[in-house]
Formats: sequence, structure tokens, C-alpha cells
Amino acid sequence: MYTQFFGNFLLNKHLITPTQLMDAIQNKKNIHLKLGVLAIHNGYMTAEEVEQVHFKQTQIDKRFGEIAIEEGFLNKQQVEELLHTQTPDYLLLSQILVDNGYLSMEQFQNAMLEYQSLYELTELDFSHEQSNKVNALIREFYEFDELNDENLREMLYCYITLLFNTIIRFVGDDFTPYPIIKIGAYPINWCVSQKIAGDFSLHTALDMDESTLISFASRYVGENYTSNNEYVRSSMEDFINLNNGLFAVNISNDYSKSLILQPPLTENDVLFVPKAPLYYIPIQFTFGTVNVMFVI
Amino acid sequence: MNLKGLTVLICDDSILFRKQMKDFFTANNCTSIIEVTDGQEAIDAYKENKPDIVFLDIIMPNKTGIEAIKEIISYDSNAYIVMFSSAGTHQYLKDAILAGAHDFLQKPFDPYLVETIIEKYFLSQGGN
Repeated sequence: MYTQFFGNFLLNKHLITPTQLMDAIQNKKNIHLKLGVLAIHNGYMTAEEVEQVHFKQTQIDKRFGEIAIEEGFLNKQQVEELLHTQTPDYLLLSQILVDNGYLSMEQFQNAMLEYQSLYELTELDFSHEQSNKVNALIREFYEFDELNDENLREMLYCYITLLFNTIIRFVGDDFTPYPIIKIGAYPINWCVSQKIAGDFSLHTALDMDESTLISFASRYVGENYTSNNEYVRSSMEDFINLNNGLFAVNISNDYSKSLILQPPLTENDVLFVPKAPLYYIPIQFTFGTVNVMFVI
Repeated sequence: MNLKGLTVLICDDSILFRKQMKDFFTANNCTSIIEVTDGQEAIDAYKENKPDIVFLDIIMPNKTGIEAIKEIISYDSNAYIVMFSSAGTHQYLKDAILAGAHDFLQKPFDPYLVETIIEKYFLSQGGN
């Protein structure tokens, strides 16, 4: 999972220009990933070793993999693995940038390592105990009949894992998630919601009482709000927008799917009756309970 | 960084993000900060104030940031516009750059990234 699109990262680092990025994004469909970029990505070869193999290729007519094996940079098993693993979409982008000479192999290697260390969130962000709870919760979620679509399950798995990561990163890890509840209508207390549309659609929301709202927002922004004002509500909208934005980045990176986020919405004291069933996960924090809701 | 003399237009429906940006610019001696909350207001405020640099959110009610940037650029092709969003996907990035954005910022607010973007702006203007 990534928290920022690689192209944006390269742009902010001044490694490429907007025109170069544009060019790469537009040509992404026509490109094939080459072994060199993959080997660097998997940490099997350095940029320098890849350059050496490229140089050899100008002298002898052999495939990259063959030379890399002869030189002792890769073994047969690694070559097979590289040819068959699924790789993130951002590597395609990198391949074009390298092919077009916008990035050198070495710049790619350094940028990728920095990007991964800064922005990759792994499940290691969870403590073992929290991780077990969340995984149990997701398994339980899958038992609902409507969720027999493999793709849908995978998306939901990404969404829920990311949401817990976002909560841990920006709010805290002093919480306990409770089993998922499915209902037809939900009496909203203070609710911030956002619809995600595009290649996959999901209506997401967080609902809580007023004092929990104030505490959640205070923690998220690092302010000490004492009453429920415009800033508190805006902070909550910012939170859901941030999480869903990261979700869109991950889905764009890992599945090449494009999602559109609608502006977040805050509502108070209404009965929410969605067209499809609503699922919610109660998350009990030390300062109150937040219900995380989904309509699929 | 001394941003005295710089006129900045900040357009976002999030009061939180506007405040974070405003605090950043105020702390850097910038005294000319215009805040608006949707795309149409951004277009109007641009024409009225001719800011040096515009920060424009993509996802907004009424008129989106993409619609706004197109109108601003067609009014003034030299407008220096930075777009931002919490969703830094290649689609958003592509739309923003195609529409003429100079830079793209991913939320949440990060003062270091904003600084980098301002430095880039000054570089493009041929120094400070």
C-alpha cells in the first residue's frame, strides 16, 4: 500500500517535469516492464549491475536474464520469479521514465527506495494483537452472502486494512474493534460520509456522538478543541477524505483502477436508510465509540 | 522564508486546510492571502486580485478545481496554479497537469512540501 502516487513523489522531488510525467502517464498502456527495473524493485540487483548487463547486451546478442545469470547477479529461480510476479503499476511509469531518459537507473533506484521507506505502509504497522483482531473482523465480514465476489472482497480487504492503518497513524492505537453488524437503517448521531465512485463504488461513513467527535478531531489535527465547531467538523471531513484519497492511490497503484471521490458530507440527527444493506464496525476508543460504516 | 509581497489565493472547501495554509503563509510574513471556498469563487477572486500563486483543491462542490483551473488559464495563460487533493492518483495528476497546473500537492497539509513548491515558484520566476 502506498500513501502517495509515485509520479507525484518524483514531481515534488524535482526529478521530473510535469511534461515528462504527462508523457509517461499517457504512454503507460504501451509499455512492457523489463527485467532490469523489476530486479531493482525486488532488491535483487543494483542500478549499477543493471547498467553492466545493458552494456554487455550491446556486445552480445543475449537476453537480459541470461547475462544476469552468467554474471552471477541473478539465479534462475529469481529470473523465473521476476517474470511471473505481479508488480505495482508505478513500476510501469518508472519504466517509461527510464526508457525516455528522464530518469537514470540510479535515480530510479534511489527514488524508489526513498518512496518505499517514506510511503509504503505494510501490515507491520499493526501490533500483532491488533492485526489478528482486524483480520478476524475481515474474515467475519466475508461470511455475508452478498460478498461472494472475489474482486469486491479484495477491495474491501484493502479498504479496511488501510482504514485501521490511517487510524493508527493519525489518531492512535488505543482502540478495540467489535464484530461487524449488518442493518437496513441507521440512526445517525454525528456522521461524516463520502461516496467513492468509478471502477468500484463504496459509500463510506464514520458516526459517533458529539464528545467523541470533538476528541477524535482534536487528536487527528493535534489541536485541543473544546466544543463542536466548524473546525471540528472540517477535521472529520478531512480525515475521511484523507483515508479515501489514500485508498484511491493504492487502487490506482496496485490495480490500475480509477476512483472518483465526492466531497465529504457531515450530517446530524437523521435516519440513514440506504438502498443496499449497511454494515458497520464499532471501534471503541478510550474516549468513545466510532462506528465505521459501509454501503456496498 | 520571507514571503512578504507575495499574493496568494487559497481555494478549498475545507476550513481546516485553509487555516493550515493561512497559518503557514502568515508565519512566513505573507500579508496578502485570499481565501475562497469553491471553484467559481476562485475564478472571480483570480480576476479581481491577480494573485502570484494559486492553491486549488480538486474535489469541491459547485465547480471543481479542474473546471476552475481551465477557466483561470483561459483568462490568464501565465497563471501559476498548484493543485492539491487527498487522492494523488494518476488520473487526478493527469487532469491537473493537462489543465495547466504547475505542481501537484497531496494532502494532508505538510509545511515542507508547501515550502518546496514555493521555492519552485521562485525558481520559475528567475530567483527570489
